Amino acid sequence: MILLVAATLVALQAPAQGIDPRLERLDSITRPIVAALVDSARAAALPTEPLVQRALEGATKRAPADRIVAAVRRLALDLGHARDALGPTASPTELGAAAAALRAGAHPATLTELRRIRRESLTVPLAVLTDLVGSGVPVDSAAAAVLSLAAKTRDADLVEFRRAVERDIALGAPPASATAAAAAVTAEATAVQVNAGARQQRPGRP
Amino acid sequence: MFEPDEELIGRVVRQLRRPVTVDAGLDARVMEQIGRLPARRTGGPVRATWRWIIRPRTIRLSPLGALAIAAVFVAVVLWRPDRPSRPASARAFGFVVVAPRAATVSLVGDFNDWDAARTPMQRTRKDESVWTAVIPLTPGRYRYAFLVDGVAWLADPAAPAARDDEFGAPSSVVTVGGS
Repeated sequence: MILLVAATLVALQAPAQGIDPRLERLDSITRPIVAALVDSARAAALPTEPLVQRALEGATKRAPADRIVAAVRRLALDLGHARDALGPTASPTELGAAAAALRAGAHPATLTELRRIRRESLTVPLAVLTDLVGSGVPVDSAAAAVLSLAAKTRDADLVEFRRAVERDIALGAPPASATAAAAAVTAEATAVQVNAGARQQRPGRP
Repeated sequence: MFEPDEELIGRVVRQLRRPVTVDAGLDARVMEQIGRLPARRTGGPVRATWRWIIRPRTIRLSPLGALAIAAVFVAVVLWRPDRPSRPASARAFGFVVVAPRAATVSLVGDFNDWDAARTPMQRTRKDESVWTAVIPLTPGRYRYAFLVDGVAWLADPAAPAARDDEFGAPSSVVTVGGS
């Protein structure tokens, strides 16, 4: 019976350990290198799905082998740095978003601080931070705004905050000013929502 | 000393020389007994190991031990490094792109393994230059792009651009929140 249990456990683990069949779309030169990078990431308890997707993106876009391998390797390193900043409890989606934020120029200390102050998932705050930097907002301004909102603001409101900043930038506002103004509006709206929620929770009087 | 008794020896010899009548069913009974004996062990250590594996045996297990084995089994079945800790609910997301002269447009990204055949976009009835697709997305951040006529890559002008674009063709990102 013990042998049967052991064999079953090995069989159950086997699909997770083998080469991902989706990597068959890579050419014969790229495939083993990417598979090795994926295996290394798995051994380091890092998420492998982002690496597979990045390789598939390269294959679909008909990128040369060396560029695909370089992109996957760089993403694996970024995921490792993201895990260092967020800690071992970070989810795969959080690590993916954190890797993008680090690549955009965010400081690891910003990620660690986000982890400390926000109880919910960090995926959206990190994505908003990355997108703001991509819109031309200085990384320090973007980080300060996201940190000021992250503790109490819902994901949907953070996304709306990002849209507001992008809209104001498109209308000609300086990126840093647009960010600060939108952050203030979002924080005020969040406070109103919180207070309204508190009123609703208050017990009624006879 | 022992003196041989001729008469006694003669009686024994006569007794031994008497014809013996054997029961007709003896052969069958003997062969049945032989058939019940364990077979001779041949075939070396591999067969011996195989016999050891397939031989039924009774294992005594305490309830605590059984629970521990069951817990390990469940943990291994449920655990995957890439699996989110909680099952996330998917939300429908709509993608729109204007491509007036396109014959086909595909939505391609992290959500469909960058497979151009998996999510073809549809022309809207009101305006044939507008292409749409609606797909379910669980919370996360996804890279994607539109593939026009199977050759031209187009980023989503209504979405943030992917900054780390190493493949020479533009991509966009969509972030799906959970709260």
